[in-house]
Amino acid sequence: MEILYNSGTLLIIMGVPFFWSGTVGLIRFPDIYTRLHALTKADNVGLGCIVCGLALQSGSWTVTAKLLLIWLLVLIASSASCHLIARSAMQKNIKPWMRS
Amino acid sequence: MIPDHHFLRNSTLLNVNRHSLLRIFIFSAVWLTLTGSDTSSWIIGVPAVLFASKLSLMLAPPSQCLVSVSGALRFIPFFLYQSFRGGLDVMRRALSSQQLLDPGLVSYVTLLPEGSARIFFVNTISLLPGTLSAELHENTITIHTLDRGMSIWANIQTLEYHVAALMHISTENKKGL
Repeated sequence: MEILYNSGTLLIIMGVPFFWSGTVGLIRFPDIYTRLHALTKADNVGLGCIVCGLALQSGSWTVTAKLLLIWLLVLIASSASCHLIARSAMQKNIKPWMRS
Repeated sequence: MIPDHHFLRNSTLLNVNRHSLLRIFIFSAVWLTLTGSDTSSWIIGVPAVLFASKLSLMLAPPSQCLVSVSGALRFIPFFLYQSFRGGLDVMRRALSSQQLLDPGLVSYVTLLPEGSARIFFVNTISLLPGTLSAELHENTITIHTLDRGMSIWANIQTLEYHVAALMHISTENKKGL
């Protein structure tokens, strides 16, 4: 049990830099499209690590199932809303930032 | 008595019922997982499950939703690995002191049929390293990429192949057209 708990902690700590870089990307990246990349991809991996870590620590199948389901729902919601935001930006003729 | 399968397959009424029951079962499992053993939650749960099942049947008819088990077993590790790479890629570009972005737009014509498979494909593109689906117009997807130097085509084609396998779709016979 101790091993499970500690590897859970390790996974949770692993998730933090992903959330961190997602937020840094949101601030540093130049336009709406690149910012969407940062938010969706980094946060999904970060949430994945944290969900797996918490599942290992919970020691219960029902909690594990619930956590994995939450992750799946967040994946669906974030990829769909990411596409919708990008599409609406395209329709508003917002030009992507290009390296000059 | 073993039911006559041919009769079962041809009966629309039975098909609808079987598919409705499957959806109701799936959404009940989702509700049960989210709320746990609290039985009073089903006061909200039963109408929500029925509504979700009805809505999902309207939005995604059963004919479009054939998921292959072997396809799923190959898709899940592929997807997890790719989204992990995607996260690492964004991390590298966000935290680097240099400007590592070279964004651009590319168009991709997909062979996947209209409906669930195409929508699923468009949504998963956004979780792959360096690509984001910006617009879907019939079978042409406009993709925004973080780095025009990446092998976007190969990545997307691999994803398309995996989605086709997942959804029981053969793209082979359409490639010659």
